[in-house]
Amino acid sequence: MKVAVVGKGGSGKTTTSAVLARTLARRGHDTLALDCDSNPNLGISLGLGEEATERLVSVRDAVDAGQEQHAVSADDLVQRFGVDAPDGVRLAVVTAIQNPKPGCPCCGISPEQLLGELARPGRTVVADFEAGLSTVLRLDGRPVDVVVVVVEPTAKSLEVGRRAAEVVQGGGLGRVVITANRVRDDQDVARVRAAFPGLDPVLVPDEPAIVAAERAGEAPLDAAADSPGVRALVGMAESLTG
Amino acid sequence: MRVAFVGKGGAGKSSLAGTFARVLAGTGQRVLALDSDPMPGMAFALGVDQTDAGLPDEAVEAYDDGGRRRYRLRAGLTGTGAVEQYAVHGPDGVRFLQLGKARGPRWDNTRQHFGFQGVLDDLPGDGWSIVGDLPGGTRQPFLTWGRYAQTFLVVVEPYPASLLTGRRLARLAAASHAPRVLALANKVREPGDAEHVSKRTGLDVVGTVPFDPVLADADRLGRAVLDADPDGPTATAVRSLVEAVQDREAVQDREAVQDREEPS
Repeated sequence: MKVAVVGKGGSGKTTTSAVLARTLARRGHDTLALDCDSNPNLGISLGLGEEATERLVSVRDAVDAGQEQHAVSADDLVQRFGVDAPDGVRLAVVTAIQNPKPGCPCCGISPEQLLGELARPGRTVVADFEAGLSTVLRLDGRPVDVVVVVVEPTAKSLEVGRRAAEVVQGGGLGRVVITANRVRDDQDVARVRAAFPGLDPVLVPDEPAIVAAERAGEAPLDAAADSPGVRALVGMAESLTG
Repeated sequence: MRVAFVGKGGAGKSSLAGTFARVLAGTGQRVLALDSDPMPGMAFALGVDQTDAGLPDEAVEAYDDGGRRRYRLRAGLTGTGAVEQYAVHGPDGVRFLQLGKARGPRWDNTRQHFGFQGVLDDLPGDGWSIVGDLPGGTRQPFLTWGRYAQTFLVVVEPYPASLLTGRRLARLAAASHAPRVLALANKVREPGDAEHVSKRTGLDVVGTVPFDPVLADADRLGRAVLDADPDGPTATAVRSLVEAVQDREAVQDREAVQDREEPS
């Protein structure tokens, strides 16, 4: 299964990706999490801590600076730029670099292309994409199974989410699952539903426990597993497995 | 004054940049607000209705460059002319220009992209202040989209992912020989948060904006916080910030004059 997670910056993509990847792994999926953001923080949300997250980034930076060998294949990339995260998730940082070698399996192809290369029977790949819409546009011609569009109930975030959903549906790029974070009240619910008619958005309540986990640099699944917010994200993840 | 706001997605760049532009315009400056993020953003914070008004197609022409199709501002149109002709009139006299926004499947912004770059290459000079809202993240903001800025304000929230982004930006700024780079601590809830931001990013903190529930509500409604709560905590903090940045620029100008008078 190939899952792409997209949305506006700050809407909770990375938190959502982390809970999603670990929940699927707990349900027995061989799960690979790809951090495709040029500003990679998925390690923190998975529960690896800040230091291990920065260490992965620095290996990638070293390749960019010509101080490290490039990976020779997509699998080598997962090995070299990856680390084992909680619940058996493998995390790899595949951020675009500034000096790519054209065609190189570790930096010369887009993260969207890489998501396709790394998919195989029996493996689930969850890609936490860069914020914005360009990444969704690059999925054109490379459909995935599910595109999780992450939004919060602000005017800006809903607008970005609406455009992302339009692109995915218009291009037949995958099943759209809207995940709305930080939902506080009935007005928020109404705003989210109005932006995505017919799409039955997953509503995640505004969750102080997730805010607290983020401030502490901990994984929400470790720090606040029983909170309604995390439970809603876990429910969304479980719904993908049918 | 030429400032650009950078930082992690969701840190509050657009809200603060839009408010900053209006507050600065309110002091009598001519202000151009520039939104180079292909996501709707700064328009909401400015209180401008046209969230999608990029340069019109007529402002940009295609030309052939050794078999490759490229784009530039149409012949005779300067960057300043493009601003005068096409920048939207916003509240408090702010002029507003944005990169055209992403729309629909197979959307292509090449034309917009080069047109906007053409404006950045030739921004209005004397008498204008420029306030930019840059795309989130760490993708080369100092050499490309923000190359006009004399001061970069890195918007940082006091939690690890945002602090890490701030630190990465500080490192990139040093490597890119960016001019003045200062931190702005946003959504501050506890005493010591600003100091924490300074310690963890290695940047000088030029301003502190408290967590503001009114801003959260305004964001939900797509309203400018300056209209929703003109004397609230965000507006007050941004007024102090404008003064603080002006003070820094004045100090630097004085030092530049002294350097010229007393060559070492």
